Amino acid sequence: MDALIVIFVSGIVAMFIAMTHKPLLVLATALVGLSVGIGLMVNQWYNPYLLFDYNGLAFGRGEVIYSVAAMTFALLIIAGGYTYFKREPEHTGEYISLILFSLTGALCMIGYTDLFMFFIGLEILSIPVYVLAGSKKKDLQSSEAGLKYFFTGAFATGILLFGTAWVYGATGTFDLRELSNILSEGTANGPLLFVGILMMMASFLFKVGAAPFHFWGPDVYAGSPNIITGYMASVVKMAGLYAFLKLFTYVFAPVSDLWSGALFGMIVLTMFVGNLSALRQTKFKRLLAYSSISNAGYALMAPMIISDASLFNLWIYLLGYGFAVIALIVISLIVNDESDDIESYKGIGRKNPWIGFVLVLSVLSLAGVPPLAGFFGKYMVFSSAFATYPILVILAVINSGIGVFYYLRFVMVALSSEDAEQAPVLKPCVLQWGVLAICAIGLLLSGYITL
Amino acid sequence: MELFAIPLVFALIALVAPKSKVNYVGLIGAVVSMVVSFIHVANFSPDQYVSLFAPDFMLPFGLTFKMGYDGIGLFMVVLTNVITSLILLSNLNREIAHNRAFNALVLLMQFGLLGVFTAMDGIMFYIFWELTLVPIFLISYWFGSADRKKPLMKFFIYTFVGSLAMLLSFMALGTYSNSFAYEDLLAAQLTAKTAFWVMCGFFLAFAIKIPLFPFHTWQPDTYTVSPMAGTMLLSALMLKMALYGMVRWMIPIAPEALDTLSCLVITLGMIGVVYAAVIAIKQSDIKRLFAFASISHVGLIAAGIMLFNKDALAGAFIQIANHSLVALGLFLAADILERRMGTRNMYDMGGVAKLAPKFGFWFAAVAFASVSVPLTSGFIGEFLLLKGVYNYSWIVGLVAGTTLVLGAVYTLRAYQISMFGAPKMEHFADLTWNEMLTFFIIMLIILVVGIYPQAIIDFVGPSLDLTIESVKGAKVIVQ
Repeated sequence: MDALIVIFVSGIVAMFIAMTHKPLLVLATALVGLSVGIGLMVNQWYNPYLLFDYNGLAFGRGEVIYSVAAMTFALLIIAGGYTYFKREPEHTGEYISLILFSLTGALCMIGYTDLFMFFIGLEILSIPVYVLAGSKKKDLQSSEAGLKYFFTGAFATGILLFGTAWVYGATGTFDLRELSNILSEGTANGPLLFVGILMMMASFLFKVGAAPFHFWGPDVYAGSPNIITGYMASVVKMAGLYAFLKLFTYVFAPVSDLWSGALFGMIVLTMFVGNLSALRQTKFKRLLAYSSISNAGYALMAPMIISDASLFNLWIYLLGYGFAVIALIVISLIVNDESDDIESYKGIGRKNPWIGFVLVLSVLSLAGVPPLAGFFGKYMVFSSAFATYPILVILAVINSGIGVFYYLRFVMVALSSEDAEQAPVLKPCVLQWGVLAICAIGLLLSGYITL
Repeated sequence: MELFAIPLVFALIALVAPKSKVNYVGLIGAVVSMVVSFIHVANFSPDQYVSLFAPDFMLPFGLTFKMGYDGIGLFMVVLTNVITSLILLSNLNREIAHNRAFNALVLLMQFGLLGVFTAMDGIMFYIFWELTLVPIFLISYWFGSADRKKPLMKFFIYTFVGSLAMLLSFMALGTYSNSFAYEDLLAAQLTAKTAFWVMCGFFLAFAIKIPLFPFHTWQPDTYTVSPMAGTMLLSALMLKMALYGMVRWMIPIAPEALDTLSCLVITLGMIGVVYAAVIAIKQSDIKRLFAFASISHVGLIAAGIMLFNKDALAGAFIQIANHSLVALGLFLAADILERRMGTRNMYDMGGVAKLAPKFGFWFAAVAFASVSVPLTSGFIGEFLLLKGVYNYSWIVGLVAGTTLVLGAVYTLRAYQISMFGAPKMEHFADLTWNEMLTFFIIMLIILVVGIYPQAIIDFVGPSLDLTIESVKGAKVIVQ
């Protein structure tokens, strides 16, 4: 809870400091705020008596690990995107503080114990991202991305609210604990509740970009500034998927017969839509968008399994995914190519072996090659689902096989030795080197974390 | 532990060493690692199990990080180290050996292979198994011929998908056992149906890597476009991972399904033996010819392993060593011809034996070893394997026997067309000292093993006995 306040306050401070037109100072404020926030969260892990249960928010151990990961990702995003933010010094503060505000929302979405707080968190998370998606004002695609994300997002929020209302109507409470008690007694079961749950599920799947609610994904990802794409793929996904896990796996578990069948179907659809569409992409960010759709499909297998281990499995999965995406996004900033063609990555492994190394690590981690984090995440999610849903796991493994095709093509472009002279000269700044190094270490080691 | 550390440390040194000396860094790394493995052999008695790494913690899903070796494992470790040293030795004077990345990748590959052969935990085995894919892919991609992209894509996807099938098998096993430690997996009681599917998953991964008959389509293209060192690593070491995997993992873990699947695998192996040999006879591209020859030889080894009796397994291990050495020699000869004549087409070659007598002699020696004439290791290996399959069924024995005839036809035909006849060129540089030394060591080992095969049989024998017993025991429980 104190971390939440620190982050929100540092966002406000950053916004005011921006009036001095000193981007470096804004960056320093944000990084200090985030570091203090992470420190407070870690402290909470070691001192459980600090667990604070405000009406609607509680940070237990599960929440702490997700919050730390989300804050770390935000820190990497802000540090890695600084060269982009400072290009327009008068707007630097806005970018950075909007990201911090949105992160506040993400933390609310992670720590909620009340559907009401969850809704507020979702809005605080989403509205800054709508603005950020359209922040390249002179770029038509960016405006399109902002508008599209806003309209479809608002529609999904409406459905979520509607679903919440139905659930409230059936049970008479917003509180997760009471809700869980009522559901396990089974007194509230009926069409009112079921329709509400399904509506909530639909809007959740919209937020994480799962098929058939994925159509906004590629356009928004491709249109937004690169660094915001990275933010959406890492932090927003983490918050959305954890909120989903908390609500469905732990609260709606007694009625899992109702929603698990629907989720099963949508996971299969998501994986195939994501992977098959990614096969023919020639633009980097669209490739990333479809890969993120298919990854959402794999990640959604964790909430299917009603078990305490699901929480940790999903976390490891999202951790590996987040590091890989952030590394790729920072590399795309370094390459800095307007056309965003995959071909523009040609030969960067030759030109700058270290960047090539991180790129290969992150793509292979996305493809699930051991011993990288992506492999462990996939393995843990898949293997825990194997006993209950073997067919689903087999389909997911087939999809991983399809995925290798486009990931490998990307690696081959990046490592190709032909025309290496034409490869762009890359000048990453110190901060970006730092971010890439942290991502590489994360990709190599985070699979071995045990708690 | 030093067994793994040495290749890794030298790989890092190779990344920063000056270009003119980096070839020696690579070679020294491989040789030092070979010497260390010899020390392990000297301190080893064949009936013991040596644990290299056994931490007392494990990851939540059951990964225990256990590493160790018994006779089979150590045999493969030594083979890996010897073959890697020979590969680097044969490349020593080439331009490719002065590339830092090349040396580092070969050593990384060696590291991965050592891990595969000493992993005593299912997931560790999988991790190392996949780890070897990355360096070999990069070696072939960076240093291969111009038309390499499509075959390499095919190779990577084929093998990766195969490995995913193996991963599925491990996931299924995970639901039957507490951890992935080898002994826990052995103790897991599978139903006949589960065992069948688990074995199918393993089989798909191994059949693609070996490659067995219907899964072989990636192999000739990939061998052809890879640089010499890549082809050598693929044929001499990578496919041995799969044969080893069959003995160590596939059959002992799911022995209940052995009888169901052995007929299928033996049939596929036999089809491969004849089919690949016939195609090899029709080839004009010398590298492709040896690629098909390789499919033909390993089909018989795979069939022998599925019999799972002591003679056939001992034959299989002798043949594993023999095939590694022979493949190394043949691909080296093919590469020397390609490099110095600028073509892989045998019909554009000729008369080399006159121009380069030393090369002619050593190529002939390796060719004879490939045909398994008596006194070479191939003779003992193939004899034991053929005896095994003949006892299984005389028809299979008869089909397998054709390998001797057909093998002689394509190998000697290749030798005759490329080496004899009217010289097609005026000058052919003879062997350099390192190529000569490579051929010499290859032939030396082949002859030693051919004359005294009991050394290998005694070395892997006790471990094989244990494995065979555990498989038989499991079968009894099922019945």
